[in-house]
Amino acid sequence: MNKRIEKMLSDILNKKHHAFRQYINQVVFTKITEEFAARKLTDTFRATIRLQKVLEMETPVILGDEKIVFMRTVRKIPEMFTPKEWNDIRKDHYIHELGKVCNISPDYATTISVGLEERRNEALQTLKVTVDTKGKEFLQSSIDSIDAILKLTERYAKEAEKAGKTDVAEILERIPRFGATTFQEALQSFRILHFALWASFNYHNTIGRFDQYMFPYLKADMDAGRLDYDQAFELLEEFFLTFNRDSDLYPGMQQGDNGQSMVLGGIDSQGNDAYNLLSEMCLKASLELKLIDPKINLRVNKDTELKLYELGTQLTKQGLGFPQYSNDDIVIPGLLEKGYSLDDARNYVVAACWEFIIPGVGMDIPNIGALSYSNVVDRVVQDSLSKCKDFDSLMEMVRTEMQSEIDNELSKFKNIYMEPSPVMSILMEGCIRTARDITHGSKYNNYGLHGTGLSNATDSLAAIKKYVFDEKTIKAEEIILAINANFEGYEDLWANLKYEAPKMGNDDDYVDSIAVELVSMFASSLKDKSNDRGGCYRAGTGSAMYYVWHVKDLNASADGRKKGEFLSANYAPSLNIKSKGPVSIIRSFAKPNLKAAINGGPLTIEIHDTVFRNSESITKVAMLVKTFMDIGGHQLQINALNKETLLEAQEKPELHRNLIVRVWGWSGYFVELDKEYQDHIIQRVELKV
Amino acid sequence: MAKGLIFEIEEFAVHDGPGIRKTVFLKGCPLRCNWCHNPEGLSFEKEIMVSRGSCTNCGRCIDVCKEKECSVCGECLKVCPLHLRKICGTEYEAKDLAKELLKGKEILEKNNGGITISGGEPLAQPDFLVELINELKPIHVAIETSGYAPEEVFKKVVDSVDLVLMDIKHTDPTVHKQFIGHDNELILKNLKYLCNSGKKFYIRIPLIPGVNDTRENMERTAELLKDAKGLERVELLPYHKTAGAKYSMVGREYKPIFDVEKIPNAFLEPFQKYNIRSEVL
Repeated sequence: MNKRIEKMLSDILNKKHHAFRQYINQVVFTKITEEFAARKLTDTFRATIRLQKVLEMETPVILGDEKIVFMRTVRKIPEMFTPKEWNDIRKDHYIHELGKVCNISPDYATTISVGLEERRNEALQTLKVTVDTKGKEFLQSSIDSIDAILKLTERYAKEAEKAGKTDVAEILERIPRFGATTFQEALQSFRILHFALWASFNYHNTIGRFDQYMFPYLKADMDAGRLDYDQAFELLEEFFLTFNRDSDLYPGMQQGDNGQSMVLGGIDSQGNDAYNLLSEMCLKASLELKLIDPKINLRVNKDTELKLYELGTQLTKQGLGFPQYSNDDIVIPGLLEKGYSLDDARNYVVAACWEFIIPGVGMDIPNIGALSYSNVVDRVVQDSLSKCKDFDSLMEMVRTEMQSEIDNELSKFKNIYMEPSPVMSILMEGCIRTARDITHGSKYNNYGLHGTGLSNATDSLAAIKKYVFDEKTIKAEEIILAINANFEGYEDLWANLKYEAPKMGNDDDYVDSIAVELVSMFASSLKDKSNDRGGCYRAGTGSAMYYVWHVKDLNASADGRKKGEFLSANYAPSLNIKSKGPVSIIRSFAKPNLKAAINGGPLTIEIHDTVFRNSESITKVAMLVKTFMDIGGHQLQINALNKETLLEAQEKPELHRNLIVRVWGWSGYFVELDKEYQDHIIQRVELKV
Repeated sequence: MAKGLIFEIEEFAVHDGPGIRKTVFLKGCPLRCNWCHNPEGLSFEKEIMVSRGSCTNCGRCIDVCKEKECSVCGECLKVCPLHLRKICGTEYEAKDLAKELLKGKEILEKNNGGITISGGEPLAQPDFLVELINELKPIHVAIETSGYAPEEVFKKVVDSVDLVLMDIKHTDPTVHKQFIGHDNELILKNLKYLCNSGKKFYIRIPLIPGVNDTRENMERTAELLKDAKGLERVELLPYHKTAGAKYSMVGREYKPIFDVEKIPNAFLEPFQKYNIRSEVL
């Protein structure tokens, strides 16, 4: 990176731009909400006025010699409803997370290309022929939102002019009003649209297939001689920095969980490999900057060369917790099975963490809930184990219980309500044309469930199979008593279950076949289910934060896990178990039918950072990743970790402010995490070499 | 059918030869390198290994023990509430071990890898080793050896594997004897055979501060290797003071007679002089 980028990077790390943030009394925000209520405004108008007010409150700031501008100075976004109003809404509706549109992949490309003015004209045209009030209201709101964005852009242009930055001012006078004509304009246009989404209180606003939709601008500039590689790379690095400027203000479960995921590579609509120069530049920019945003996802397939995996592994070596790899050969057929069209399936991206969604046309909620495999197995063990005559009948009980757990879970997701978002709607296909806000749905309205604790559930069942049914050395009643006593007084039994029983992750069919069955049960339990938005349900292998949440009320389990101990995160062996090594792990975890678990969730492997010492071992890690894909893996993510460093960072956070770790579907700064999440990371299996 | 004793199988051993490999460690070694970091590989017998760090001294292992001398009966393993004890050393017939090692061999083969046999000193269980190599073939087999073995054993093994990873710990026989327990005569003889054999090999040198990390020793080593046809590279492995970590686990005492705090020198130029590929691992 050059001096200019180096300086900007250091300013961001030292939070220099925070000095420009405004201190606005909370009363100001509360008043806005109360006024909405007093005027009895509709939700769509509220969304629009909220955006107008936030953008009016913003103060344009041009930092140093930056070329891509826009940063937040207003820390908060006012709520749309008063607490009382919100309570009333909750009574009649299911609310997902914060009740905002989130975790989808907007189609930035169209608007960057044609400009907001044209989108505004489309809305005006549709308005002329729209008769229903809701439709009119939505279109008027879209127009007003566009005007608000352009107004702030004008103020930025003036500020740039004032700062003597005529080049920046000139760009802001053209875009996003008109279509971008250069790479820099396209980047700036993206920045403004992305900014507007966050200012609309949308969150987990993903980036999508950036290397695909931005490549034409880059190529045109390079072909015309307007940009050489170095200049383009510098712009790209500056653009990457913008994702880290306001990210601490974005809502998420933990700092860093902000959903700014970027997807690189993969096949195009014709099925050809679409990895290009820009994909490569993005990997290299991330490698140099070593920042948690944007979060890099690499789409691969059976023809992907080892070279690309090696470049990805270089990135893994930095300890950023990405790239996360997704396998087109599994994901695309899996999406087809769930009714996605071929074109759309080939265009998949990942949501904030790992869930496979479609840009522009997917209003899926892939993280609406979660199945706790461990809960299901616990209930079956408690209620039915003593009555089962063999292991197969126990598994039948698991199937029945899982179905009833799923039925119960799905019954919650009725009549969902989300705050409308004119800005997000502008960026989703067909909303303007049909005069409907994106909250009313899109081409795909599917819901996805995570699956937590698969390996713990598998290990528990394997222990029961071995000791209760096959060897008959432990009685069913004894296991139940031991679990309910949290193994107090059953120390020898506990040690046996914990250390001697077979565990998933050792390429042992005895255990792995149980996981295969559990994943398939989960997928079939959702097979004929549809939600009230006309969508289907998808089973996943991710955990999100449920690996911590689900243990709160969970008993100890037959795998020797004591009460309160965490489940494994995502798709990974249980914590603190002895595994033969990463080759056995990938073989075990490639066994389930992952095409049926298409909600996503990566196999997560922790490897000691010393393994990445030289280029040969980088190649070997790359081979390991490629092998998982070649044998039918769907998604994978490797962490380069060093336990000693993490322990020291807990004790002396001031020495490790920039230590980055992968948490579940995203990377964050270790020292900014809550302690329970820090502890979980420390406990994950760390494979030393 | 010879039986062999191993103490570990490691998957994805990235520093033990090309590609994705599994490494098996044969138990027992005739040498006593002062810096040895695998003390559980020294004895040719099974032994109890204890992680003492988290031991609460509850005494259950002592209560259950009926022997005067440990016979490795394993009774104490069962009663340890924290499961801190294990038996180090598993007996195998060659064909059973080969079967275990070859599990998932497609992955090893597809990624230019194979099996590495290390130790201890694998050549110290010669009949078992030769049988194991035969059982493993045709997969790529590498052997990691100190070179301290009867010449006919060394020849036989070298001729039957695809790659040899051999240590040269010191060129001086006196220093060799002082730090390793035997002089290097036999090792150098075997090295000579290896150099002339045309077999592919790597040389590995543990860099021990103040013992063998001098320019002179590297120059003499390079001199020995300069005409070897099959030499692929020289790898220098700097000593790390965590080497002593496992001694207490097998009831041994780590007694380094060199300065463990010093960072060893790593001279690559003597090898570069002869165009020998060399690197520090």
